[in-house]
Amino acid sequence: MILLRLITWPYVRKHLLRSVLTTAGIVLGVALLVGMQTANRSVLRAFNDTVERIAGKAQLQVSAGDAGFSEEVLERVQSLREIRAAAPVIEAEADPGFPGQGKLLILAVDMTGDRSLREYDFDNADENVIDDPLIFLAQPDSIILTREFAGRNHIAIGGKVAFATMLGRKQFTVRGILKAGGMAQAFGGNLGIMDIYAAQSVFGRGRHFDRIDIGLQEGVSLKQGEAALSAMLGPGFTVEPPSGRGRQFESLLGVYTLAMTASSMFALFIGMFIIYNSFAIAVTQRRGEIGILRALGATRGQIRTLFLGESAVAGLIGSATGAALGLIFARTLTGVSATMLESMFGVAQNVQDISANPGFLLFAMAMGTGTSIVAALVPARNAARIEPIQALQKGRYQVLGAGENRLRRNIALLAAALAVACLPLSAWRPAFFAGILLTLLACLLLTPFLSLELSRLLRRPMKWLRPVEGALAADSLIQAPRRTSATVAALMLSLALVVGQGGVARTSLQSIDEWMNNTLNPDMFVSTTENIASHGARFPTSMQQELESVPGIAEIQPERLPRLQFHGYPVLLLSTELAKLGRRVKRHMISGDEETMNRLASQEKGLILSENLAALVKLRLGDNVELATPTGMLRLPVVGTIRDLSNQMGTIIIERSLYIRYFQDDTVDVFRVYLRPGASQEEVRSRIVERMGRQRHLFVMLNREIRAYVAKVMNQWFGLTYVQVIVSMLVAILGIVNTLTVSISDRRRELGVLRAVGGLRNQIRGTVWMEAGAIGLIGLALGIATGAVTLYYELQAIQHDISGMPFAYEFPWGIVALLVPVILFAACGAAILPAESAVRGSLVEALEYE
Amino acid sequence: MISLTGVTKVYNGKRQVAALESVDLEIARGEMVSIVGPSGSGKSTLLNLIGGLDRPSSGTIRIDGQSVADLSDDDLTRLRRDKIGFIFQFFNLLPSLSCLENVALPLHLKGLGRQEIDKRARQLLELVQLGSRLDHLPDELSGGERQRVAIARALAFYPPVLLADEPTGNLDTHTGGEILALIRDLHQRLGATVLIVTHDAGVAESCARTVTLRDARIAGDVRR
Repeated sequence: MILLRLITWPYVRKHLLRSVLTTAGIVLGVALLVGMQTANRSVLRAFNDTVERIAGKAQLQVSAGDAGFSEEVLERVQSLREIRAAAPVIEAEADPGFPGQGKLLILAVDMTGDRSLREYDFDNADENVIDDPLIFLAQPDSIILTREFAGRNHIAIGGKVAFATMLGRKQFTVRGILKAGGMAQAFGGNLGIMDIYAAQSVFGRGRHFDRIDIGLQEGVSLKQGEAALSAMLGPGFTVEPPSGRGRQFESLLGVYTLAMTASSMFALFIGMFIIYNSFAIAVTQRRGEIGILRALGATRGQIRTLFLGESAVAGLIGSATGAALGLIFARTLTGVSATMLESMFGVAQNVQDISANPGFLLFAMAMGTGTSIVAALVPARNAARIEPIQALQKGRYQVLGAGENRLRRNIALLAAALAVACLPLSAWRPAFFAGILLTLLACLLLTPFLSLELSRLLRRPMKWLRPVEGALAADSLIQAPRRTSATVAALMLSLALVVGQGGVARTSLQSIDEWMNNTLNPDMFVSTTENIASHGARFPTSMQQELESVPGIAEIQPERLPRLQFHGYPVLLLSTELAKLGRRVKRHMISGDEETMNRLASQEKGLILSENLAALVKLRLGDNVELATPTGMLRLPVVGTIRDLSNQMGTIIIERSLYIRYFQDDTVDVFRVYLRPGASQEEVRSRIVERMGRQRHLFVMLNREIRAYVAKVMNQWFGLTYVQVIVSMLVAILGIVNTLTVSISDRRRELGVLRAVGGLRNQIRGTVWMEAGAIGLIGLALGIATGAVTLYYELQAIQHDISGMPFAYEFPWGIVALLVPVILFAACGAAILPAESAVRGSLVEALEYE
Repeated sequence: MISLTGVTKVYNGKRQVAALESVDLEIARGEMVSIVGPSGSGKSTLLNLIGGLDRPSSGTIRIDGQSVADLSDDDLTRLRRDKIGFIFQFFNLLPSLSCLENVALPLHLKGLGRQEIDKRARQLLELVQLGSRLDHLPDELSGGERQRVAIARALAFYPPVLLADEPTGNLDTHTGGEILALIRDLHQRLGATVLIVTHDAGVAESCARTVTLRDARIAGDVRR
């Protein structure tokens, strides 16, 4: 500790900017990790909190996915002796239209039996309602709000709240206000309670419930209750504790969480290079100091501990700052994540507070500090190895030893060869991931050698451009490879990330575009929500005839799109009139014959799988599939696999009549509308809205509007990953500033001579800018090359390990073309402060006069 | 040619240190002047101020009639580039550039044409008898040869003023004598005004005039 105070603190104070820059890499990496994880946790926790509060005393919940089930299931459940209470529930979202207040989560219950499972603690209520719930039942426009929501919107007992329903915009009368606390805090306080039978017509449920909440008899365990219910209901129903819904939501989030975590860890990894660079340079610059310490009796262990201690302190300070920043980021990220999740998966979130996990904060800080210590291990070891007599000699020690260079190169080539050898073994996943690591290792180990060679290659054109400034800038890089290579490595990795993400985005968008051209080809869509992923309300099947009677419409295709769990994956079950669909849509076939597939599926003799789902669950043409439904097991062979991008985890497509029969559900989520030739889209839309808009709540979206919506959702998805890419870029730019700051210090005398013999300030600045530009160019070259390789691995991982989607390898030329000026501009920007510091200060001191 | 009036230089650190106090000095065109004095007397400070490497805290310095106080940093740099040649004790050659490139440095900085630069740089190296070492790096030269290259660089624009700060301080006696002879020869041929800071009495006596500094002031001014 005494050495930290006597030796380290003066050095840090003298090089304050550099010390700050050193920790900045850790700060950003930890901030990203904490921010992303906290945002995810907050969203998940908000969801779980809502589930738990609404569940009340319910010990189990019976559901059948998004499809729901008919009312008669309730009687069967109630007949079991293990069951004390069984309360049916419908949950849906409604938009009351209060600016900035978000949506209402409507919990529709049967008030006669619900109070045995849920506590209704009224602040204020119509006394008749409290005493006799049948009165609530008899007044189908009744609604109960929470004190928080009512207070925010100045609604009292007897007041009105209106929102769009399947029967048009309806007003509801507030007959009760719940006290704060308990259930009233679900969904951030935006909770409304209404009668379940009124909700059935308002939300288009027909005679269906979404789930049944169960209270068990005394002495009946959860396991016993589950077993009894499952045995009676069959495989088409899910019986689980309320917490099970949280796990399902978590699996929905799975891909998103994985992407966020990977990017955060990557930023931290890049930050590690900044630390390594700083400490490697510090060891070089402080050789004399180390020599004196060693000459005076400091052991190698003490020197090593000194540098590791410095890195630990830097890491701790950086991590603590990063954690605090991350919590600030989390607030913004939470809102963005919630919006994106609603767009993609139709799950609305009302996240009021961020949910920081102290344990995770400590973990993130430990990660940051650990990263810093690991990064400093090699420089600390090198410092400990310095012989006093060598350290006390003047002269530079920047040149990479020839032996060291050769060893590094040989290991890199070996790693590259092993990576290539792993390629044909990629089907065995450990070999595939080993290949990725070996590739990255090879790239990192080759960075110093390649940086040096590229610097040498750049000398001639730089000298041609500016004979003095260019030559000196190139020489600065050539003579100080240690200083440059870690920064180049950090830039290389972050650019590889950009190229990789860019490639994934480009190929995804191309695939989606192709899919939309083939499949999303109706002239318009009629849906219950603007967000077609969210289906709180549904249309009655009778609406199909109404639509067909609208002039200008040639054909209507109804679609029902519930989500369900299939082999552990949250998949989309798409049911439609497949004969009609087959005549209008040209599928991208993966296996099977399209004509045969459409015929068999429309005749209820088979089902169709999306390509990615088939890959994930390893099903092929002809394999038999079992689908658990509320009325029993549905067994069908796979009659075709197609490219379908409706759902990230995959889609199962069956004939609508089959769905109606097995799921006892004839409601519709979306109507696909094809117009007669010559019919005007705008006119037909107006007719639909005119005819049905008053009695029903519907949205009519033209094809181009749907495409724009899909593009928006995709941009949101990739937008979040690009945020992480920008942060990674910032980390890399910090590295350039760090390197240049040290470069200016190392070249002080050289720059002094330049000024002494007549170099103007702008010429001095020019040499610094050119050095920065050269680092940027070298980083670009290596980053683009590395990205081209890692893009292949990313696409393979997406296909085989994440979503099963096979995307073609498409190099993102557009992104690369944009990166070149951006990086060069950023590099020159990074050079501004160091360039100014190079022209300031005493010329005499720079020349080191005695 | 060079005129100093009441020039003072004070360094403000933890304590104030007066490196030069109220110095008045006139140096005529074509004079060869040695500046001597004990360590810390202000010799190098005086040279730095005349050479435009530093600015006085007070007083006036005129080079060829122009007051340096009125000049911006860029103008002072141009003055230093075009009218003053500086020869340093430790040569201050750029190690990554060849002899030819080191000599060409000021010419490039002025932006002359490449052909002209090449021609002049070669001429200058011939002048200091290093025409055969054009492509050699400083590391490959002896101390004397490095100082010759530094002299050639200082002569890039055939400046009217040549400032040499202990030009032989890092050389052995024999080599130092050669360098001094070279400087004297260039003074005679080019007619430049030469100021040499030196500890060496022999070097001092070989100049027509010796200015002695002691405790930041001029203590003596001898003409021979």
